[in-house]
Amino acid sequence: MGMMRRSIINLFSRPYTSKYPKVKAQLPEGNRGRVEWNMEDCIFCMLCQKNCPTVAIATDKAGGTQSITRNRCLACSRCVEVCPKKCIRMVPEYSEPVLLPEVHVYVIGMKKWDYKVERIDTKTRWR
Amino acid sequence: MPRTSIIPFGPQHPAFLEPLHLKLQLEEERVVGVEPSLGYNHRGMEYAMEKDWKRNFFLSERVCGICSFHHSTTYSQAMEAMTGTQAPERARLIRIIMLEVQRVTSHTLALGHMAEAMGYENLFMQFFREREEFMRVANEVSGNRVHYCMNWLGGVRRDIAPELAKSIEQRMDATQGRLEELAKVVRKDSTWLKRTKGVGVLSKRQAETWAVVGPVARASGLSYDVRQSGNAAYAMDGTKFKPVWREEGDTWARCMVRMDETLQSVALIRQGLGLLREGPIESKFKGNPTGEGFSRDEAPRGELMYWVKANGTSSLDRVKVRTPAFMNIPPLGEMLMNEQFANVPVIVVSVDPCICCTDR
Repeated sequence: MGMMRRSIINLFSRPYTSKYPKVKAQLPEGNRGRVEWNMEDCIFCMLCQKNCPTVAIATDKAGGTQSITRNRCLACSRCVEVCPKKCIRMVPEYSEPVLLPEVHVYVIGMKKWDYKVERIDTKTRWR
Repeated sequence: MPRTSIIPFGPQHPAFLEPLHLKLQLEEERVVGVEPSLGYNHRGMEYAMEKDWKRNFFLSERVCGICSFHHSTTYSQAMEAMTGTQAPERARLIRIIMLEVQRVTSHTLALGHMAEAMGYENLFMQFFREREEFMRVANEVSGNRVHYCMNWLGGVRRDIAPELAKSIEQRMDATQGRLEELAKVVRKDSTWLKRTKGVGVLSKRQAETWAVVGPVARASGLSYDVRQSGNAAYAMDGTKFKPVWREEGDTWARCMVRMDETLQSVALIRQGLGLLREGPIESKFKGNPTGEGFSRDEAPRGELMYWVKANGTSSLDRVKVRTPAFMNIPPLGEMLMNEQFANVPVIVVSVDPCICCTDR
């Protein structure tokens, strides 16, 4: 009897699901998404690179760049924790699905939280 | 002499979510022999864990997606036992709350999968709707939906804000009613009863012989739950806890134990939120650990054990994981014996075999 009652209620109520690509997903405030650098404050201490469990971060001290392989990052926010200058932050939204592995490169001299996108050819081995 | 035929069941089968292979020996429609075989999902996790003890807090979660937090908590507790670090009370309570949230998501997935295996798609959807509420709670607290990435040596990395605790408590009240409605279906619905009652019986004696753990053991009359005692004693943190157990030992009893545990977990989440007091969530530890550490915990499928041996460097000597599904799959031979072939998916799913855990 319980299921019959539930079925009748469901028949006359709105769908529980949302039409995802059209309607944006409601992500909570603390959602772990993308990692971003503020290159104005970065001192290239390499702590984020050393502590990254999936080796997604590559710090180039000579070239003045921080790059992160998006598809490798597992959003553990360990880099945010260890940063002594607190110049790394995590934003709630996810990056969009891509066909080729994507690398976000942060170069010194860029504006706050600004980055450029590079793609890795899948034929070459990832770092 | 009756002729027997051999039917391969799995590793790719619509009733299974994961690759498990059963070699069934049939006499007409009756099962007379079972030979389970595993290893289709082996990834060498134990070896990978020896590389870096810090990475393991995230790697151990990847052993299994449905009980990820149980894995990382047990690993953290083993490391804490090794180094003699005591996690603060608030951290332990946050762990309990998140463990119970994950237990609800796992049990509702198991019950929904069970409904799907017997062709009850409507009920499957109902279970998954309730599951979504707990997935959202996990997302709000930890930031992730499946792999929480919350544990560290000596505590947790995410705190539960007072406003969030209040909102979770309110939502628990709303979900409780809906879950009780679903419990009524599992208890009384004729479709459900016809497929599960008296099917795949595992007696108490057999359960003891095969040393089954978790809901499978508790459905067969063994009131064994790691949450009562051991390293992860819940009573130590002030929560009131009594294991759910039944005596029937059939598929229905296993489902009922899961359903009642879901309701119990909601009560435990509420208790845990009520007991939260201001304080630190992490005690610091520096350097590399040495020695041996052991811990166990009640994962949704049963007792989970971690044994870790460290050598004072960043790598570990050995990590041994014993997962609950590893103990629960072998007695399938006893449960399936003399059953109809059509009941095989229902019985196998009622054990809730997690191949990811078993093969690791």
